[in-house]
Amino acid sequence: MSARRRRSIFDLVREYVEEIESLADEIVERFMEKPSWDVASQTLEPLCDVYVSRDNVIVTADLPKADPESIRISSIRDDLIEITAKMKVKVRFEDLGVTHRRGEFTCFCCRVQLPVPVDISKAKAKFVKGILEITLPRKKGYEIKIE
Amino acid sequence: MSGDNEIKIIEVRDIPEGVKIICGLPDVGLVGVIAAAHMISKMNLIEAAYVETDLLPPVIILENGMPKSPIRIFEGGGIAVINSEVAIPSDAIYPLMRSIVEWAWRKKAERVFTLSGLPVPNRHELEKIKVFGAASNGDMLKVLKDNEVEIIERGFLVGPQALILKYCVEKNISAIALLAESFYNYPDPEASSVVIQTLNRMLNINVDVSELVGKGEEVRLTMRDMMRRTQAELARMRKSQEYDIPGFYIK
Repeated sequence: MSARRRRSIFDLVREYVEEIESLADEIVERFMEKPSWDVASQTLEPLCDVYVSRDNVIVTADLPKADPESIRISSIRDDLIEITAKMKVKVRFEDLGVTHRRGEFTCFCCRVQLPVPVDISKAKAKFVKGILEITLPRKKGYEIKIE
Repeated sequence: MSGDNEIKIIEVRDIPEGVKIICGLPDVGLVGVIAAAHMISKMNLIEAAYVETDLLPPVIILENGMPKSPIRIFEGGGIAVINSEVAIPSDAIYPLMRSIVEWAWRKKAERVFTLSGLPVPNRHELEKIKVFGAASNGDMLKVLKDNEVEIIERGFLVGPQALILKYCVEKNISAIALLAESFYNYPDPEASSVVIQTLNRMLNINVDVSELVGKGEEVRLTMRDMMRRTQAELARMRKSQEYDIPGFYIK
């Protein structure tokens, strides 16, 4: 009879981490395998980033050539925001060095998933050097007092 | 054709020995890639070699309707610039960097420069971008100091420039890593321009960066997709370790 080695807590944690990593890889692959543009809606998907600090969730988006006056940030759900912006000029594939595709782009649009609960009504945004920065205060939980 | 896991650097025209090599490979802010592409264009460098390997995805660059390797070396006036037009899979970084440094050693490279970014969270608020450096030996550290480049005394480097420095030490090649403060996830032509200006001083060349800065928004639009794919590889190579504070150290 073969003796089955009991898995330690470290083995279990390692397996769990590997599973999460493989899932994350799969999500990244799926996200990557679609174009970052849509000719039908003349939309480019901007590069976005999300950072969680102690008090805020900070969302940034790279919006080169965006008209600052046209930037709109709306809440789709409690944990999902949409960023849209019109571009100052139309950008054609040709302008991006691509001659074998047809189409032009007039706006940016993306939806950003928020990782923790936020108070969207208190969000603030600024647009510096073509980078949009949205600061969303995190919702405060119940504070446990130390006796 | 290269066999499995084999990397060949194939020269299509003669590259002289003693050449200075500049590596601009995909990393944070695509600082090196943008800087290398700008230098190739402004210095009128000519395609001199390409990388042949099965470690990259099955991708080619079409140029005037004909296939080209996505990693190529352009040369002129004793300067060879290595540039990649695709994100390099994290699994390929080790063998590829080893091959590049091996090639630099065979070419008796006078010096190897690797250009990249140093991610800073408040990058868009910075008025003046600083360049930091690291080197493979004491003489190169002195070159950095003489050119008023602040040395990274202690910290982590992750990615192509980390391995280039490491392998250059092993091969006794003089090498310098130049890292400009940059965005992590967004193409950063302004940071690339600052790195080029530092190289201008070090190599006594005069690459004009005004066009690169002026066309910054176009560059950012064009480089979006490469940045997206590079982001995924940066995550796989645990690039965020550069933010880590090194462990306790007694002098």
